[in-house]
Amino acid sequence: MLVVAEREQLPVPQAKAGEPEAWDTLFRRYQLPLYVYVFELVHDEQTSLDLVQETFIAAVRHVGGLRDDAKFGSWLFGIAHQKCIQRWRKQSREEVLLDEIPDAPDESENNPDDLLIRQEQEAEFMNLLNQLPLPQRSVLLLHFVEDFSLEEIAGITGTQLGTVKSRLYYAKKALRKLLEEKK
Amino acid sequence: MKNPRDILLERHRSTAPKLDAIRREVVEVAADVNRRKQPVRELTFAATLAKAIRLSFLELVWPCRRTWAALAAVWIALFIFNVSQRDKSELAVRKLPPPSPEAIMAWRQQEKLLAELIGPSAPGDAEQRKIFLPKPRTEIAEAVAV
Repeated sequence: MLVVAEREQLPVPQAKAGEPEAWDTLFRRYQLPLYVYVFELVHDEQTSLDLVQETFIAAVRHVGGLRDDAKFGSWLFGIAHQKCIQRWRKQSREEVLLDEIPDAPDESENNPDDLLIRQEQEAEFMNLLNQLPLPQRSVLLLHFVEDFSLEEIAGITGTQLGTVKSRLYYAKKALRKLLEEKK
Repeated sequence: MKNPRDILLERHRSTAPKLDAIRREVVEVAADVNRRKQPVRELTFAATLAKAIRLSFLELVWPCRRTWAALAAVWIALFIFNVSQRDKSELAVRKLPPPSPEAIMAWRQQEKLLAELIGPSAPGDAEQRKIFLPKPRTEIAEAVAV
């Protein structure tokens, strides 16, 4: 069962008040999903650990700017996303954004559980995930790992809602196609 | 059957100890940030004002303290001098008695005498005065030649 950040009782106000225990709870909750997201984007363990650390430190310093405590999860992933982009710009290894993808039709199935993968398909799933263009991979990871809404993903990645919809649609379509082929 | 989230998290579960270490480090940073913020929260308006005055004094006055002291001394001297002068003139005005009727009479008689001595101004006076007015240099030169 997915744990949705917005439904949890997270000690964000206490963290804002500067309680280290609250930060410990928050970081314990998000450290692995955040690492997964960053790693699947940059594909380097040390870089991913550095980015997670930078994200946590930025969160501690700028938590005062967080208006809605319920949005802590998407806010934290937004910081991590920006850190990844900064790292790519630094390394001059920016991938071409696929904004020319046409708008996707409305998809009723927006639950990450709609894609269930058998054990023997896991390797193929990861392989295909890594083959997806970066913007699609980013959207799909946010959808899978934290079940963020389309609006939240748009906020995290700094893109239009329509763009997020189309990226998610084509990424899931590609994944589903592969899984059906393997069956 | 697993969902993508389970697969992704399972793949990276081995990194948990490293992430725990990072978390502990950052929590230490958070505790440090909290310690630094603590005195700031306790600042009252009066304390902030006092700090601002102290800072202004240290930045503006203290580096040029001799100049400010000299200026202050001059201002004080000028003020004292001004006050003392004002006192004297006021006293002088107060000390003068009103002129007596005899003095006023004597003053009027002197005025009449002066008017008689001088008499009405003669019509040639204005012309005589013109002689002493400076003339253009060319006219002066002609007069000398003649």
